[in-house]
Amino acid sequence: MSRLWKEFSKGLWTDLPPFKIVLGLCPVLAVTKTADNGFGMGLAVIFVLTLSNVFVSAVRKIIPAKVRIACFIVIAASLVVAVELLMQAYAYPLYQQLGIFVPLIVVNCIILGRAEAFASKNTVLLSAADGFGMGVGFTMSLTFLGGLRELFGYGTLFGSQIMPESFKPFSFMIEAPGAFVCLGIVLAAMNAFTNRQRRKKGLAVLDNPTHDCKTCGICGH
Amino acid sequence: MNETIKMIVVLSLICGLSGFTLATLKDATNDKIEEQVLTYVQGPAISDVLVGYDNSPVKDRKKFDIPGTDQQVTVFPALKDGKLFGVALETFAKGYGGNVGVMVGFNIDGANLSGIGVTTMKETPGIGSRVAKQGFTSQFSGHPAKVELSSKGGDINGIAGATISSTASVEAVKQAINIFGQIKPQLAAAWTKGS
Repeated sequence: MSRLWKEFSKGLWTDLPPFKIVLGLCPVLAVTKTADNGFGMGLAVIFVLTLSNVFVSAVRKIIPAKVRIACFIVIAASLVVAVELLMQAYAYPLYQQLGIFVPLIVVNCIILGRAEAFASKNTVLLSAADGFGMGVGFTMSLTFLGGLRELFGYGTLFGSQIMPESFKPFSFMIEAPGAFVCLGIVLAAMNAFTNRQRRKKGLAVLDNPTHDCKTCGICGH
Repeated sequence: MNETIKMIVVLSLICGLSGFTLATLKDATNDKIEEQVLTYVQGPAISDVLVGYDNSPVKDRKKFDIPGTDQQVTVFPALKDGKLFGVALETFAKGYGGNVGVMVGFNIDGANLSGIGVTTMKETPGIGSRVAKQGFTSQFSGHPAKVELSSKGGDINGIAGATISSTASVEAVKQAINIFGQIKPQLAAAWTKGS
């Protein structure tokens, strides 16, 4: 049970997908114009990531090593098409908003990254916990970033007015460059926070606390 | 050799299963998706071109064969107290960036258009895309069912600098008028009360 919780919770902070392991930036930058969009995209990713981890883990023993990547991609792509169809059938306005970004979940490196690094080596249950945790972390990050940009870019949050009347929307924030700037600020803030925690515990402060190949262990290379 | 065969078998099996699952799902969601597209894409256009109905034109839609062709057209009715007073149908004509879809509303006697609304188009933003704006479309509200651009002797003012887009919209409206004329005899009987 504790192992299950550990795999789930690592996606929420220590390996938070876009901000800590900095994977899957295409949707992170592209769809976070509003908190709503970020949340919707996140839900789609939770669904695809959890199921792709489960399927990959279930068939991990019968997949020959040489064609594993092709198999992972077929599994992820099928799930994405399924999500797209279901979204069209039951949440059409959201589909209109997310448009091209839903099919792009296929090439989101988080999906392939988790399949390769985790699901292909662990049991179905642990893989599901890992995928779900990563998905929830991804959703939180996207909603947060979307909320930040929506708040300053439109003066609203989840569509309702937050800023006072006199606030002049800062339209730079909802343009593409605003996404990069916001992401940079969030990453800097998280690194500063991590280093403060380490200082309190008396550990050495890291120059670059985001992952590199030595400290991360995500893919085992 | 053995490994090669295993690779082929496993990969084919996974692909085949995925294909089968997706085909089933596509089949299962087909009707629902069509309804959603009608509600969110055509629906707003219909409420622009027909006024004063108390039914749901999307729900009550019916398909008609166009006489002399093997094509069908979906007609959206406007009913008041169960009596048909107008219909809308969608037609397409080639514009500058692919097809321009136009929803055309008719009063049931067919003498006047009740209005038009652009449903789908990929015209140049700011130039051709203005065919979707009120300034252009409002010219058709209450217009007799015979349209032509002013440059060709009619009274519809095209959009300056967007001849192709304007022509496409007018073409689509003409097509709709043509289709309406052909299916008109079938219309009144199609939505009698209680059916």
